[in-house]
Amino acid sequence: MPLKLKIHNYYIVFEKRYETGILYKVLVTIIAVIASFIIAGLIFLMLGFSPLEIYKMIINTFTSVGLMHETLLRSTPIILAALGLSIAFKMNFWNIGAEGQLYMGAFAATGVVLLHVYYGMISPDLLLLVMLLASFIAGSAWCLFPAFLKTRLGANEIITTLMMNYIAILFVNYLIFGPWRDPQGYGFPFSVNFPPYARPSLPFMSVGTLMLTWSLVTASLVFSMLKYTIPGFEIRVVGQNLEAAKYAGMNISSTIMLGSLLSGGLSGIAGMVTVTTLIGRLTPDVSPGYGYMAIIVAYLAGLNPLLIIPAGILFGGLLTAGDAMQYALSMPKTGAQILQALIFLFTLLGEFVKRYGVTVVRSGGKDGRS
Amino acid sequence: MEDTKEKQPLVEMIGIVKRFPGVVANDEVNFTLMPGEVHALLGENGAGKTTLMNILYGLYRPDRGTIKIMGRPVTINSPSKAIKLGIGMVHQNFRLIPTHTVAENVILNAPNVGFFIDWQKIHEELRQQIAKYGWRISPESRVWQLSAGEKQQVEILKLLYRGSRILIFDEPTSVLTPQESKMLFTTMRKMAEEGKGVVLITHKLDEALSVSDRITVMRKGRVVLVKPTSMTNRDELALAMIGRQEGASLQPQPGPRTDRPVLSVINLFVEGDKEELAVKGASLDVHRGEILGIAGVSGNGQVELAEAIARVRKVKSGKILLDGKDVTSFTPRQMYENGVAYIPPEGARTGVVSELTVLENAILKSYRYSPISNKLLIRWKEAAKLAGMLIERYQVVAPSINAKVKTLSGGNIQRLVLARELLGNMLTKPKLIIAVYPTSGLDIGAAEYVRANLTSMRNEGAGILLISEDLDELLRMSDRIAVMYEGRVVGIFDGYRASKEEIGMLMARGVG
Repeated sequence: MPLKLKIHNYYIVFEKRYETGILYKVLVTIIAVIASFIIAGLIFLMLGFSPLEIYKMIINTFTSVGLMHETLLRSTPIILAALGLSIAFKMNFWNIGAEGQLYMGAFAATGVVLLHVYYGMISPDLLLLVMLLASFIAGSAWCLFPAFLKTRLGANEIITTLMMNYIAILFVNYLIFGPWRDPQGYGFPFSVNFPPYARPSLPFMSVGTLMLTWSLVTASLVFSMLKYTIPGFEIRVVGQNLEAAKYAGMNISSTIMLGSLLSGGLSGIAGMVTVTTLIGRLTPDVSPGYGYMAIIVAYLAGLNPLLIIPAGILFGGLLTAGDAMQYALSMPKTGAQILQALIFLFTLLGEFVKRYGVTVVRSGGKDGRS
Repeated sequence: MEDTKEKQPLVEMIGIVKRFPGVVANDEVNFTLMPGEVHALLGENGAGKTTLMNILYGLYRPDRGTIKIMGRPVTINSPSKAIKLGIGMVHQNFRLIPTHTVAENVILNAPNVGFFIDWQKIHEELRQQIAKYGWRISPESRVWQLSAGEKQQVEILKLLYRGSRILIFDEPTSVLTPQESKMLFTTMRKMAEEGKGVVLITHKLDEALSVSDRITVMRKGRVVLVKPTSMTNRDELALAMIGRQEGASLQPQPGPRTDRPVLSVINLFVEGDKEELAVKGASLDVHRGEILGIAGVSGNGQVELAEAIARVRKVKSGKILLDGKDVTSFTPRQMYENGVAYIPPEGARTGVVSELTVLENAILKSYRYSPISNKLLIRWKEAAKLAGMLIERYQVVAPSINAKVKTLSGGNIQRLVLARELLGNMLTKPKLIIAVYPTSGLDIGAAEYVRANLTSMRNEGAGILLISEDLDELLRMSDRIAVMYEGRVVGIFDGYRASKEEIGMLMARGVG
């Protein structure tokens, strides 16, 4: 039965759609993004900034080589975390703890570096690999605990993953203000600088391109895992219909645990990418909310791992442009966040439009549809 | 009873017809509700009771027929229109906001509350209502703190606050304890004394007999009996619900029954969803080459028994033997590997994932086994071959194997489930098939198709446990019929010689 809204002489009729083409979905998403730019423009105008100038800055972010490099660096943690989230969301596990998992990944990567710097453990050749493993494990542990609480005790993962964020952020802060503070850092809350071989680079490729490649490889792996492997199939079935999964003989708890392990692990790697490519050491504000932006990005991409890459680059660009707006126009930091928030709202609205066809019908006469 | 005849009926539904794709849910149904009566609408699942009341509540529109409320013909095209006409419905699943208080839930969306809310007045009014019915809830308590029975009282308060005079209860006791049910019946009687009309939708004979003034029995979309409760009895109602023997039935053929039981259930105890004992010491054998039908009024433990045997429900105590081997602690996957097929109740809900494709659903059980996959990867080419073969052999009508299952009709979804289950595991055909309501909700053609397939599997030597609410179906298909009553097997009949009346009596009261 369609839902009807009456406005003056017109009915707006919402009718559930069964099949939506991929083209229609992409079109709705693009329109949502454009609409949010227009509304944000109006808000900027009210704040006394020229929207055209701001649009130009945003476009600049994607056309200038230097800014694009920065954009790619900033989008990588968002993309990796969003890829992790897409796995969790596909199985109906509402992991909103990517931020905390990212902090734990940053913590573990730094820990490995400190072991090397302070105690001379681990050879420089192996350092990055060990950091990668450590950050994956730390991130997945941070997601596995809520998954364990959910499968064993039925605890709501939205609450537990969120709470784990605060624990992770405060824990990292404790380390930075306490034992891990650089002794030669003039009292600033920073760890020691990472040595160059603890920061990924290749002789024939810029770090930004390297990170983009890394994102593409990870996205392909996630995509193939979901589509072609047995656990991927189980994750999709568990997410769509728990009863059918049980009936098909699937082990629901272990599926959720495995999916959470991958989800948190990818966010953990996002944390390692943040400290190694963007900052070069552990700081209290490792992430300006990459883990939360990843939620928006995962949704903007409709949980499709391959579409997460363009969506993530868009958000990386917005961050870069946000910085530029802050310096060039002395706009408050929250200015750029308006745009992000609007994109999120319009994406949600877009989800609704994808599910329901909207038609406007003139009222009056017999109402034939119902 | 006599004076109600002179009163104006609250509701008159005349000649209501409602068709769904492939089924006539209501076929020329007449129904009246008088003020001051509790009217039980009795029938098996799928008899069309809920459809009829959903029409009255404005959730569906009838294809044909008229509805009069207090003598005036009306068109009810939405629940809000129904509420304006004084009609209220208490659904099986409550529609309450757990974190809000009772009073907040009651006034939500209620007319005449106004912009400024006078909480004191509302609380006072609600307290009076609550005291009148002898309940113990407080308008200020939070809904999440309440028991199921108390939540239902909040639902009733919502209706009364909106001034409903016609109250419909859809299977209201399904979520209640026996004590809470008793309390609810007292409430219903009180509401009737106040001149309201109460409709109780139920499939439980005892409920209808104990609380109602009048009973309408529906079967397969039609009204088959309307009588004052004082002038009828259990046996008459049971037979009306189940139906008399229909003349032109297929000539049933006995199967190649063997002496080897493929399944033995020994003194099984199983808990239901509310942790009550649903199966209380059931024992039975299913032999290779036979169909053992299980008859029973729904809610007597049949579904829980089947789920326990399929190992999707925990066994409390007792034993399940498959070919003599103890499988009581097996997982559903182990059962599948050992040649057990399971057609679940509501196959369209629990047997498929509607957001996934036909192809993906076709391998929902075989995805772990060669040749559909190796240890890690799924071979989609092999899967597509299998899905194409299943669709063709079982004539599943689907746009393509890559179409989502939600685009298929109910009958075709059931065919898909059947196709997948009867295929067996990747090594052998199933030796035991547990089929729960396999034809419910299907049109005649699709139902016959399912029956023919089950029968041919039996002829090939499989043992089949068939649970159905359609006694005609059981009589036509089963080599033996076991009757379940209150979680126990109370009698076993030779299928083709059993009399419907005899089985009906046993279903209704547990003793012949």
